[in-house]
Amino acid sequence: MKWLLRVFIVIAVLYATLFAVVAVAMMQPPVRFGQFMKRMPPALVWGLLPAQSMWLRARAGTLAVGQEAPDFTLPRYKGNGAVTLSAHRGVRPVVLVFGSYT
Amino acid sequence: MPALNDLYKKYKDRAEFYIVYIQEAHPVDAWQMDVNVKEGALLATTKTLDDRTKAADTCVIKLGLDLPALVDKPDDAVERAYTGWPDRLYVVDTNGKIAFKSAPGPFGFKPEDVESTLKRLLAGGGSQAQRLTGSETEEAPSPVL
Repeated sequence: MKWLLRVFIVIAVLYATLFAVVAVAMMQPPVRFGQFMKRMPPALVWGLLPAQSMWLRARAGTLAVGQEAPDFTLPRYKGNGAVTLSAHRGVRPVVLVFGSYT
Repeated sequence: MPALNDLYKKYKDRAEFYIVYIQEAHPVDAWQMDVNVKEGALLATTKTLDDRTKAADTCVIKLGLDLPALVDKPDDAVERAYTGWPDRLYVVDTNGKIAFKSAPGPFGFKPEDVESTLKRLLAGGGSQAQRLTGSETEEAPSPVL
């Protein structure tokens, strides 16, 4: 029976380590997280771990509904100047779609 | 993203829409995916605004987006402030306050969630602050595993 307990402990430690490593990786900046995931077998992350809820937690962010939206000025794609978020105040609501292609 | 284009078409006269083009989620030099190789979407991590604008070309053209786009600067400051990567939706009301924040993509990217917020904001009557303190759900994370 002792060997069974040992096997169980080894598996538990391995699982906890995997969980911790992936959880820390998810909190890294995008490029570093990407480089980490490149080296990980996807099945290990998405198959073994509750990866979706880990992701939702790691990327929850600091902003909440009701808070002031951080102001920014960003160049328009294909020129034509820049857009400042606060310039829309008192005029119209603004929908922001963050994203990339891949 | 037909859902985004539909939403834009429906509300563009009453709300501003902006794509904020940020760092690619699956660049060739990091976490590349087979599906992107098949599509020929081989984009590298962008370090200059020029590079990023070129990468945004692929994004806007391949996805057939009608929405106006902005390009986040290479310091990723706006992405970090909003935790926008890999993708995320926000609605900012006319007081400059956040009225809707989606869960992080790819699980939380549901353009239809934006519509209910827009309807509420555009409904008029009462101050926006009052409406904001309502019992509106803050984030709508998809069912957790």
